[in-house]
Amino acid sequence: MDTLLTADIVVNSPRFRRKSSTFVDAIHDLPEKADLAPAQLYSTESGRLFHSGRIVIITVGLPARGKTHMSVAMARYLRWLGVKTRIFHLGDYRRATIPHGQDIPDDYFFVNASASSVLLRQKIVKRCREDIYQFLNEENGQIAIYDAVNPSAAGRRSLANEFAKHEIETLFIESWCDDYRIIEENVRRVKISSPDYVGWTSEDAVKHYLARISARIPQFHTMEEKDLNYIKMINAGERLIVNNKSFGYLSNRIVFYLLNLHIKTRRTYFARAGVSVEPNSYKADGPLSEQGQDYAKKMTETLLKDRELEKQAIIEGGETDYELKPLTVWTSTRRRTVETAKYLHETGYKVRQRSQLSQLNPGVCELKSERRIREEYPEEVAKHELDPYHHRYPRAESYHDLAVRLEPIILELEREQNDLLIIAHESVLRVLYGYLMACNAADIPFLEFPRDEIIEIIPESYQNEARRIQIPDLPKEIIPGSPEDIKIPVPPSGLNTPSVQGIGSPNDGVVTPQGGIRTPREPERISQQHVEDVV
Amino acid sequence: MSSKTFFASSDDSKICVVMVGLPARGKSLIAGKAMRYLGWVGIPARVFNVGTYRRNATPQPNANFFDPHNSEGEKMRRAAAEAAMEDMINWFNAGKGVVAILDATNSTRKRRQWIYESCRAANIEPLFVESICDDEDLIMNNILEVKTTSPDYKGQDPEVAALDFRNRIRNYEKVYEGIGDDENHYTYVKLINVGSTVVINQIKDYLSSRLVYYIQNLHIKPRSIWLSRHGESKYNLTGKIGGDASISDRGEAYARALPGLLKKSGVPPNTKIVIWTSTLKRTIQTARHLAAETGYEKLEWKALDELDSGVCDGLTYEEIAEKYPEDFAARDEDKYNYRYRGGESYRDVVIRLEPIIMELERSENVIIVTHQAVLRCIYSYFLNVAQEQSPWMEVPLHTLIKLTPRAYGTEEQRYKADIPAVSTWRAKGTSAKHQDFPSEVKA
Repeated sequence: MDTLLTADIVVNSPRFRRKSSTFVDAIHDLPEKADLAPAQLYSTESGRLFHSGRIVIITVGLPARGKTHMSVAMARYLRWLGVKTRIFHLGDYRRATIPHGQDIPDDYFFVNASASSVLLRQKIVKRCREDIYQFLNEENGQIAIYDAVNPSAAGRRSLANEFAKHEIETLFIESWCDDYRIIEENVRRVKISSPDYVGWTSEDAVKHYLARISARIPQFHTMEEKDLNYIKMINAGERLIVNNKSFGYLSNRIVFYLLNLHIKTRRTYFARAGVSVEPNSYKADGPLSEQGQDYAKKMTETLLKDRELEKQAIIEGGETDYELKPLTVWTSTRRRTVETAKYLHETGYKVRQRSQLSQLNPGVCELKSERRIREEYPEEVAKHELDPYHHRYPRAESYHDLAVRLEPIILELEREQNDLLIIAHESVLRVLYGYLMACNAADIPFLEFPRDEIIEIIPESYQNEARRIQIPDLPKEIIPGSPEDIKIPVPPSGLNTPSVQGIGSPNDGVVTPQGGIRTPREPERISQQHVEDVV
Repeated sequence: MSSKTFFASSDDSKICVVMVGLPARGKSLIAGKAMRYLGWVGIPARVFNVGTYRRNATPQPNANFFDPHNSEGEKMRRAAAEAAMEDMINWFNAGKGVVAILDATNSTRKRRQWIYESCRAANIEPLFVESICDDEDLIMNNILEVKTTSPDYKGQDPEVAALDFRNRIRNYEKVYEGIGDDENHYTYVKLINVGSTVVINQIKDYLSSRLVYYIQNLHIKPRSIWLSRHGESKYNLTGKIGGDASISDRGEAYARALPGLLKKSGVPPNTKIVIWTSTLKRTIQTARHLAAETGYEKLEWKALDELDSGVCDGLTYEEIAEKYPEDFAARDEDKYNYRYRGGESYRDVVIRLEPIIMELERSENVIIVTHQAVLRCIYSYFLNVAQEQSPWMEVPLHTLIKLTPRAYGTEEQRYKADIPAVSTWRAKGTSAKHQDFPSEVKA
């Protein structure tokens, strides 16, 4: 099942461009040149921000230490800030180079490997490095993340020297772990789904896997090279050691991000708030209507039932001692969201109110119909239609403002260890979803979260996946978009709505689904199967 | 249904930053800077300096006072720490505080445990920040700095003061215990030799991570930062705001005078200065001769561009008052938060300046040539100007401001080039084109 597809694409056509639908995590898509990132504060002509030059981030750590997860998470955050970032997984290159069905030589990772293994290693690294140069030198890239084991001090030093010749800075990030429970969880999660372990008990599989790692990579030197820039992340973020030779702005910013990151997985759910008594007024901040309370109840039941089913499925899949992570609920401080969490609170779930989660401020558009807005602010409407993400109506917030304001939430989202349900206004869900699924800024105002669906984001180390959970038996009238939202972002039907048979070719990315909404119901799965290294 | 009360919000984490370290390790500098930074981004913060409490009882103690065997001294220092802790908890309980900074040596395990327990009992998260330094030059530098500026040595012979201070440090060294492995359940940051190695342990919330991020950018090497507006522009002459105009003839004269003015302000020999400008013509032109004559490195920052005045770009204040009377009034009402239609507010500028501030903290000597609103924001960060005041500050054209960070605050000097320019300052409620800053406010 080792799909050569991804690796082949990456290795053989480095400039291959593809755009997934918004329902698939776009973190491995190659950014378009004109795209502005969701939380980018300004643009520069060179496309590189903060006078920070070009950096290669090089991961260090044995398999099952969360390196890939860390790489993907960093890329997600950096791109969100507008830093042109791409990940290069050395494993992809290895798989693309070694003929299908063949395993890597036994001594591949050995310090005193045979000449043929050394040559093979060099060949693979060279291909990967050339793509990194291509990205940083020719495509205006700013940060390349080089995801590999890099077990030896000598190897790391020579990498740093090699990149220095091209005036590219290096920052090593090691994930180091002596907490067996964390390693075990990681192995279970990402490694033993490999076909090699079909029919094994998970305990035996973990043991066997770890033994294989020690045999394959007998020597691993933790980072002590005082002459290199490095960050050592110990036990999934419990402690960080920073060796700062010449950290620039971005390197320090990465430390900041890593302080909030852990490498354990958990699920995130998004749900809308129920309908309130004065649904059109932003300022009134009304309590839930009767329908709203009914929704809160059904949403709660659906979510809890779904979690229970997921648990059962995993147990039936062989992990007999599987336990769900505790569920934490975040709401905004607005009444509707707080009250929507009421049943969960009463069932004993922890609920936190977060003021930053409050919805996009509609400014002068409050309580106004689309027609009235068009009449009163024709110039603003024209500007808005040109750039719905950045434009703000008088006294209102733009989606960009909202994204910048949500930065603390984004980092706390990474920090949270429990499963998390966020109950918020649609505008907030759009931005948070945009972060987790690496959406293009321009698509964010158009994402739609109908009330009869809970969105579940399942993190896989290589990419996130989204799933929709249907809430049954809701009255039709409460399902569609937020009433007090600024309505202009959604073009009147028939104008800009991309039809499925549309004009553009599927690769342009315009063809995301029906009815003016760009979130597909049945996502076209441009699946990127990434198989974790089983060394 | 009483919706808001059925469960409490837990959005309000309170943090106590506890400084740890021997004297002359830059603790007060870090404490003061962290407080200013937090205030600047809008988070209420206050420093509680245990030394100040102790000074109330013993204004100018000699080194003997700090001998651990001097039980009287020890007792008084403990009392000072308790008084500081009590005031801190009261400050938090009064409701507005988010971050308190406890500035003292806190050099024993016992003391730290007492702080930890007192904080936890009051629902405050302690964050220990230890500054460790074995670089003798840096320590000496700090001693010289402190002995000339610390209130403990006011009016004393500097030589005597320095000697006393070294003895004082020795007394502390006898009992100093760095944060050890048995304290790994604490949230802490260890800064070793001014951040060349940093150990960060058990960060539990976003705000702490942000503080650590900030602190990690700090250094304690002596340096200065020079600030200047661009030379008078053609827009300044007509009273128009915004735009991307070139500098006027007088502006050009200022650009030519800038290298001399910088020299006059005192640049230590062999000092490397980096020139920062915005991406707009008027700042680049103003720094042109300086860059050419000195050969200093030059960086252009988009983030240093002037506050974007949106639809008002290219208008005079008179025209704005006429065309957008409501906006004009709203801006006077709350200038810090007012956002020009299609443009920015001062608050927005502060957000986009954050990377600049971080970069400034990491850098050494920098001269920044930028614009009125941006300069007000940067100046406010260094001089701790309140948000309501900063947008109304006078920053005249053709004047070089030199800021030198010291352990107990930032020192400021202004150097006027003798080249006339229009005034671009505007009083609240007026739309005057070239108004003078009232002299009585200048003090």
